[in-house]
Amino acid sequence: MTLAAAAQPATLEPRGTDVESRADPAVLAGVQPPATPTSFVAAARTLISVPWLLALAPAALLFFFFLVPTLIMLSLSVVRSEAIGPHGDITLANYVYLLSSPFYVWAVLRTFIIGISTGVLVVAAAFPVAFFLAHTRSRFRGALIALCLTPLLASVVVRTYGWYIILSNYGLFNETLLSVGAIDARIHFVPSTAAIVVGLVHALLPYGILTIMNSLTAINPNVVRAAQSLGATRLSVFVKIIMPLCIPGIVGGFLLAFTGAISAFATAAILGGPKQETIATLINTFMTGVLDWSLSGALGGILIVSTIAVTALGYWFGVGKARI
Amino acid sequence: MSGGVNAARFRPSAWGVLKAVVAIIYLFMLFPVFFTGLASISEGTRAAFPPVGFTLAWWREALEPGWTDPILFSLRISAEASLIALVLGTVLAIALTRYTFPGRNVLVMLTLGPLILPTLVLSVGLLQMFAMLGLSDYVGYGGQLTGYVVISLPFCVRMVAIGISNIPRNVERAASVLGASPWMVQRKIVLPLLKNGLLAGFMFAFIQSFTDSSVSLFLARPGDMPVTIRILGFLDTGFSPTIAAVSMITLILPMVMFAIIDRFGQFGDFIHGDKRHA
Repeated sequence: MTLAAAAQPATLEPRGTDVESRADPAVLAGVQPPATPTSFVAAARTLISVPWLLALAPAALLFFFFLVPTLIMLSLSVVRSEAIGPHGDITLANYVYLLSSPFYVWAVLRTFIIGISTGVLVVAAAFPVAFFLAHTRSRFRGALIALCLTPLLASVVVRTYGWYIILSNYGLFNETLLSVGAIDARIHFVPSTAAIVVGLVHALLPYGILTIMNSLTAINPNVVRAAQSLGATRLSVFVKIIMPLCIPGIVGGFLLAFTGAISAFATAAILGGPKQETIATLINTFMTGVLDWSLSGALGGILIVSTIAVTALGYWFGVGKARI
Repeated sequence: MSGGVNAARFRPSAWGVLKAVVAIIYLFMLFPVFFTGLASISEGTRAAFPPVGFTLAWWREALEPGWTDPILFSLRISAEASLIALVLGTVLAIALTRYTFPGRNVLVMLTLGPLILPTLVLSVGLLQMFAMLGLSDYVGYGGQLTGYVVISLPFCVRMVAIGISNIPRNVERAASVLGASPWMVQRKIVLPLLKNGLLAGFMFAFIQSFTDSSVSLFLARPGDMPVTIRILGFLDTGFSPTIAAVSMITLILPMVMFAIIDRFGQFGDFIHGDKRHA
């Protein structure tokens, strides 16, 4: 129901009752279709059906400007990187090169550490807010929901810049702590990996709140009432009913935060600085600085594979389960 | 409104602790925006606390063509991309929600693809594709426009699909029984009922494009540069309160826009769609 619930394609299911609209008009008219149509005829019939005519333009857009570019990038990652253009033999040399250098291995590891910590922290911070928003009867509920979504209107660049103001050497934290006398020397909050995580948690928190709130409000209150009338305590209702039922939301929130964090460029570049390389900042270096499209393709390949793997794992682990 | 269990069933002390925790998290969320706003009107060139003096000099600088040009570019290209994505997303949503057809599941996967795969990767791929086809001249504007349409499309499809599923099918049947042509049913019945879904789709598409910095990272060119990339480039060379003022403008503009759009329709349900139980 939300932008964050994108991990649940259920809304796209056609509604079950419309049998007529689905039936073949030829059958309805009493005309039997040929028993064994040739595959060419079948393909032609498929392509000139109403839904495909509708879907043709958007499908073509997605094919030519999403699928093809992604495949081109992946194909460039398995050829040698002498010049622009796919030529030469297919080789895994780019991946081997990246994964045999401690510098790049560290960048990849750092990226995943950032992704996992961001995901865990987003879920930990989003759950209380989502729980509160799902259950409060305050008349400010609508306003509070809007308030936690307004940060989405600001670009990541803008929000990260705010953290830079707060965390930099002459920023709010250091000036305040110095003037209070809590510290003697300025603390270098930025650049650091921790600062990247703080910025990313802030940027991705609204998605976590939306996803978890969605699964909390979907819990049928009768289930809770049933448990209570059977003598369950408040704690056991929470642990045994509410928590298991919102696992899809929690896993979904983690997935969104993780996949958003491992590919974030602006936050890593502003709050991480040159010493905290991540996959995203390395892609930028290879694309614009070194002009090595094969190595940036290989890094993109690592991002794609890990995103798909973690998403699939998340589906298997939680999103598909626990539906009442 | 509130599904699930209500507040009355919680122990008051536990509920109080929860409220305090939530308040702290809200402070955390609003912290950076607040201090960016403060930095944009204080005289110091670095963000010190308490702020020193009051000045509008940074805002004046932010309203010069050097910054308004990229802001206007962002507004224009985002509006264009959102409109294209909305039209394409609407027909795709109709096809996906109203029909079953061979290849439908593949199409659903393809539609959700841009949501799952990192936008940065799309930017790399688009740049490489345009270069390989010898279309490097079109990278700046065309590349970003296509990239924005691709990343906005899943949101439009989703919002319109929700809107369609809220329309009772019998309303359409009634119209066609009474003699309306299929085209007339779409125009007079479906489209007006779909208004909120379309507005929500446009809104999400616009936010995606306007706040993007990943698609444009490799596709922006001098003259075709959105404000986010301009800020990123500026941050490399140094820190200036002018950027704080520019940041505030890029935050306020879409807020005002949506306050206006909100007057024409309600899309609250699309943002926090409560699944109500009878």
